[in-house]
Amino acid sequence: MTNVQIAVHTNAATPEPASAAKLTTRNLNFYYGDFLALKDINMVVPEKRVTALIGPSGCGKSTLLRIFNKIYAIYPKQRAEGEIILDGQNLLDPRYPINRLRSKVGMVFQKPVPFPMSIYDNVAYGISHYERLKKPAMDERVEGALRQAALWDEVKDKLKQSALGLSGGQQQRLCIARAVALKPEVILFDEPTSALDPIATGKIEQLIAELKRQFTILIVTHNMQQAARCSDYTAFMYLGEMVEHGSTQQIFTKPSKQQTEDYITGRFG
Amino acid sequence: MAIPHEHIVKSFDDELERINGEITRMGEMAIGQIQAAIDVLNRRDSKAAERVVINDDAIDELERIISDDVLRVLALRQPMARDLREVYAALRIAADIERIGDYAANVAKRSMVLNQSAPVAPARGMPALARLASELLADALTAYRMRDAERSLNVRNRDAELDAAYTSLFRELLTYMAEDPKQITPCTHLLFMAKNIERIGDHATNIAENTWFLVHGEAMSGTRAKADKTSE
Amino acid sequence: MDAIASERLYRRRRLTNGLALVLSGVAAIVGLFFLGWILFTTLDRGIDGLSLAMFTEMTPPPGAPLGVGGLLNAIVGSIVMCTMAVLMAAPIGIAAGTYLAEYANYTKTGTVIRFVNDILLSAPSIVLGLFVFVVLIGMPRQIGNALQDTTAGQAGGWLEGMADWLIDISGFSGFAGAVALGFIVLPVVVRTTDEMLRLVPIQMREAALSLGVPQWKVISKVLYRAALSGILTGVMLGLARISGETAPLLFTAFNNSFWNVDLGAPMANLPVTIYQFAMSPFENWQLLAWAGAFLITCFVLLVSVLARFLLLRKKMNHD
Repeated sequence: MTNVQIAVHTNAATPEPASAAKLTTRNLNFYYGDFLALKDINMVVPEKRVTALIGPSGCGKSTLLRIFNKIYAIYPKQRAEGEIILDGQNLLDPRYPINRLRSKVGMVFQKPVPFPMSIYDNVAYGISHYERLKKPAMDERVEGALRQAALWDEVKDKLKQSALGLSGGQQQRLCIARAVALKPEVILFDEPTSALDPIATGKIEQLIAELKRQFTILIVTHNMQQAARCSDYTAFMYLGEMVEHGSTQQIFTKPSKQQTEDYITGRFG
Repeated sequence: MAIPHEHIVKSFDDELERINGEITRMGEMAIGQIQAAIDVLNRRDSKAAERVVINDDAIDELERIISDDVLRVLALRQPMARDLREVYAALRIAADIERIGDYAANVAKRSMVLNQSAPVAPARGMPALARLASELLADALTAYRMRDAERSLNVRNRDAELDAAYTSLFRELLTYMAEDPKQITPCTHLLFMAKNIERIGDHATNIAENTWFLVHGEAMSGTRAKADKTSE
Repeated sequence: MDAIASERLYRRRRLTNGLALVLSGVAAIVGLFFLGWILFTTLDRGIDGLSLAMFTEMTPPPGAPLGVGGLLNAIVGSIVMCTMAVLMAAPIGIAAGTYLAEYANYTKTGTVIRFVNDILLSAPSIVLGLFVFVVLIGMPRQIGNALQDTTAGQAGGWLEGMADWLIDISGFSGFAGAVALGFIVLPVVVRTTDEMLRLVPIQMREAALSLGVPQWKVISKVLYRAALSGILTGVMLGLARISGETAPLLFTAFNNSFWNVDLGAPMANLPVTIYQFAMSPFENWQLLAWAGAFLITCFVLLVSVLARFLLLRKKMNHD
């Protein structure tokens, strides 16, 4: 995977065949203190496909995304009720070990947040917590992750330099490498390109198209065109409810709910 | 059923309105051309026929304008769902109206040739045929303007009528030519004119089908009833 | 609005702007003026006392000829006590600051602790000195005396040994001085650590936690690195503060005219030495006092500038 082509990949031409469900939510409710932010969400995230969550500000799409790796748990007033089934087990069960969950479900955030360490250390950070690898094995893992994130060629000569010296797009790809290095099964993307310029955005979108061959991907985006370009399935949310969920082609050419159509065509939201 | 409510960016609505208006104007011009062609047939007025031929340029020009506008909306607005179907339908309907205009002009052109010989009996059937086609077009355009899918379905069904009328005129002309070989030339012109008018009906049906697609997002089901039995 | 009215308004605004500029400029100059005056005065008075001898010879007896003696024992004593104070207070302060920022951030406990810390921060240093005196010197002596009275006559026994020890340690000592100074450094470090850690964007915490790494590891490997220069700045500012503190040392380490690096005994230090020498009628002492004052001022300036420089470099790195 040498030069990344900035080809924007469309799914509309040949829609992917349906695949098994990787994540299933059942009667999911989410509270900020007493405020019910997500109401009875029932959705299926298919395996090795890209599912996009769209909706106007405050609809709860980021909230929903952040439940899947339980990152909300560090805030005392936030809690989730209901079930999320991953490979037959309920993630929301308090007995499900959180580190195991987070090694299976990785996350890439809106603002690229490289750790204040060298590029190599950034990628190795997560790995070293789970596995004791000798240097050659670790080198190989780091290289593999950086290649998967289409960043290897650009940083292979400066692995020991601080990650803070990279450009925004490169930092975001570093964060993706960091997540991929743990060999997760699901990767969550929270508006990954909203802080990046169009070329960097294109590279990340191309990367997502390649990553979905190996990982199940769930992406939250403000940019409808990005959802249309990148995803196989799209879910539209409004005020904490899942309004409509279907194949991207169907949602963007013939949505079944008027609300969805109004949002997509820019009539409200 | 008109477009539900406005876009947040108002200029998008303005552009869609503009394309709408251009289609409506183009349709009116096409209907006018058909009426003029009928008129020319009745009155055997070659001067009027010339004018019809010249006016066709205006319809062609409008089709180019609509093409440009649609392209611009596609590039600059990234329309989705219904908006996308709107501009897509507008593009196809403009093409259909442009062909209708061409056929009307052809009818007028041929009638100029026809006027050089004596009137022929079967020519009486032409104005009625043309009027049928004109009504069909008017209905199709009304259905488009009102975004009325039911009306469109109706148009498609009535095309069968036009086809049947064409078939009978065709048979009549054949009989006439067989009886009197000296009339072959004018009858052949009439044959072509009748075919053109039948094609107008088909294009009007196209417009109806596009309107249905615009409203429902999927093609009209079932196949067209083709009552054109002339090739049987 | 017509042209004339807007012109008038504009002129009035320019006038107000100019006035504000002048006033704030004057205020800045006033502040700088006094700083300059202090530096100039201490330099002027102390320059004659400044010499290599200041760093190599001990404090002279009063009335000695000028140029004899230096401040070596006081300088060394100050260095020892300040270093000890920082070594004792910094780890506790960093740990407390970490607790506040990471575990008790939005809780009531956190608010209470921050409040108490702020009180400690602004406590008068003389009060802290008195407190340490009572706890480390006064009370042990009292208890020791009481114990001695009760075990009077009965030879041996661990109680008597304890009594002897208590009385033994209850005197002015360098250790007590270091403790008192430590109390001054502690709240500064707590506050700075707390704020610097809170400055680290929450996304970094979330990103590290999303990798499945436990919280303590996130703190030690990621957050400390991110906040390191800020925390160091806090420690340095604490150091700058205590290097000139006199009042707490008056009750704890007191002073010593001779060389002493034994923490159990009174230890010489620069601030108290300056106090003693400056109040005396002896010229050689007064000269040394000015030299010492200049030395302290320079040291504090140096540390503060270094701390600011560190912070600035960190800011530039992050942009």
